[in-house]
Amino acid sequence: MNSKPLHIRLFDEVFSGTGIWPAVPAIIVLTVVAVIPFGVLLSLGFSDIVVSRGVIVSQELSLRHLATALADPLYHTTFQRSITLALTTTFFCTLLGFPVAYLFLIGGPWVRRIILVLTIAPILTSGIVRTYAWIVILGGRGVVNGVLMDLGLISAPLRIINTPWAVVIGMVQIHLPIMILPLIAVMSRHDRRLDEASANLGASRLGTLRHVILPLSVPGLGTGASLVFTLSYTTFVVPQLLGGGNYLNAATMIYEQVVYSLEWSKGAVTAMILMATCLIVLALFAWMTHLATGWTRVAQR
Amino acid sequence: MSEAGVLSSTTGAAQAAPVVAICKAVKRFGGLTVLDDCSLTAQEGEILTLLGPSGCGKTTLLRCIAGFLTPDSGEILIDGRDTIPVPVNRRSVGVVFQSYALFPHLSVAKNVAYGLRMRATPAAEIATRVKAALATVSLTGFEERYPSQLSGGQQQRVAIARVLVLEPRVLLLDEPFNALDAKLRGTMQMEMRHLIKRLGITAVFVTHDQEEALTMSDRIAVMRAGRIEQLGTPEEIFDRPQSAYVADFVGASNFWEGVAHAGRVALPDGQSVATALDGPVRVMLRPHNLVLRAVGGEAAAWDGTIRFRRHIGALMEYEIEVAGGRMLRAVALRDDTIAALAGGDRVSLGVRDAAACVAFPPA
Ligand SMILES: Nc1ncnc2c1ncn2[C@@H]1O[C@H](COP(=O)(O)OP(=O)(O)OP(=O)(O)O)[C@@H](O)[C@H]1O
Ligand SMILES: [Mg+2]
Repeated sequence: MNSKPLHIRLFDEVFSGTGIWPAVPAIIVLTVVAVIPFGVLLSLGFSDIVVSRGVIVSQELSLRHLATALADPLYHTTFQRSITLALTTTFFCTLLGFPVAYLFLIGGPWVRRIILVLTIAPILTSGIVRTYAWIVILGGRGVVNGVLMDLGLISAPLRIINTPWAVVIGMVQIHLPIMILPLIAVMSRHDRRLDEASANLGASRLGTLRHVILPLSVPGLGTGASLVFTLSYTTFVVPQLLGGGNYLNAATMIYEQVVYSLEWSKGAVTAMILMATCLIVLALFAWMTHLATGWTRVAQR
Repeated sequence: MSEAGVLSSTTGAAQAAPVVAICKAVKRFGGLTVLDDCSLTAQEGEILTLLGPSGCGKTTLLRCIAGFLTPDSGEILIDGRDTIPVPVNRRSVGVVFQSYALFPHLSVAKNVAYGLRMRATPAAEIATRVKAALATVSLTGFEERYPSQLSGGQQQRVAIARVLVLEPRVLLLDEPFNALDAKLRGTMQMEMRHLIKRLGITAVFVTHDQEEALTMSDRIAVMRAGRIEQLGTPEEIFDRPQSAYVADFVGASNFWEGVAHAGRVALPDGQSVATALDGPVRVMLRPHNLVLRAVGGEAAAWDGTIRFRRHIGALMEYEIEVAGGRMLRAVALRDDTIAALAGGDRVSLGVRDAAACVAFPPA
């Protein structure tokens, strides 16, 4: 029997670093910053509220906002646009990120260092600053138009800024590092002897890339794609600034509903739809990753 | 060792054109010369072993043959054709890696089929050839398993099947038994030798284990610091080492300092060893070539005290301190007289067969 007094035993238990205790601080933080706000969001979305001077004076259960939102064509087009934008961003980030990761894999120590610096440095700069940089680059009197006109390739400035493509370009640049980092993590664990074995068995570099490196990178691709999708699906800075204020995606819509028209319940419903659709796409990504990594789950001997 | 030495020790097989010929290969990493004028030939259907201590360049030489490395100078010929310009994936050379390097995301069957798929072989042909290859290494029924579900020995056999299914001209094996436990290693060595012989494939095999080399090889190339020190059959290497280095590395040896006179070195027990040298020499005495006797019997070469003894299976190994504090190692069958000997006992040592001793220049 343990003869120590209760408070000592409790102290031992809490600080022993076993069981659930080490997770307690994280649980508390998550409760405060995620669970409680989510509860508030749910309660706002599923009720009619009367706000007076910024304070809720009455609140009763109602599915009215959800029903209106689901029937509203504006919602359909906005969410369609958001998903398309996020998927396009994810697609281009994968397309551009994988070659960088491959370069990291085959490169020497200096190539690796340079790639790491070039990947991490942009993350240390604020996304808003980088987005403003794109305004300078893509604008009517920006660098791109300047060069093209100097070369005589165009006579009048192209309209790049304030178009959906400007948004895509900005989004891809902002989110590319998020794609590259998990891929690099996978690549730095990759066993190069497998590539040698593949070449020895007759595979070209492309064959090795396709049949060995790519399948073994799937976990990194899955993580990267999920992160990029989530971030680009829910961002409002880039679409707001590069889309010229008339590019409405789901996040900008929530922003307007909550900040400008003060329709909190409407905003809450939009946010819930955003979250639900995001989870569906993430589940889809997870399922695809799962299918491609069956070999990692075979019964170990 | 000289070019002439390489050629002279290939007598018998020298008429046929070698399958692999390495001529004066040099490879440097930075300032470090890892292969230094390395020359070597492997004949049709033979198992040639590269034997040498860690870091002498065995893996480097193998990687040059496979094409993962390009020598700084020298030639590598396969069937008489210069292979250096041939890219890795077009050489008819199969490598069994030390770590096996099986593709973890592919099943056993798909691992074996990999090379055939890369060559765009028709599916039906792939199926039959994979089946045959797996049968060759006795892994029928393991098709759908993944490498992580196999034992070390099974993984190795998959690695071999994966290469053999392509029917390469040359098989390269880099310490393939290292990851196996001692017992399995012995079995696999024999199995592998039989398999390679049955298929008639030319194999270059790397090891730093001299017993493994003696078991597996038709010929052994003893390497020393990026050069081939001696190339010959296991018997030649063991019985007629051309240098003290080889004598010491293959089958631990005792060296006894003597003086050669008119083509002979006199041993203390009255026998003598033939030599072409003159003046001070070192005579190689294999541990099994020393006999232990009771003190004061027949003419003994040395008297000494047993300092240490060790069981090696049916044999017993003794370290015996003789006059002048020198240690001599002797190995004997564990018969009744010998079993009674223990540490501290006085014994006398004789040389069983003076003809099996070889004299080398002094160190
Ligand atoms: N890529 C490389 N860069 C620099 N040095 C290398 C490289 N590869 C090998 N070396 C050096 O070359 C020497 C020979 O290496 P190698 O791998 O050929 O030895 P080995 O005979 O196979 O040894 P072991 O029995 O330990 O496998 C070693 O000193 C090693 O440090
Ligand atoms: Mg090696």
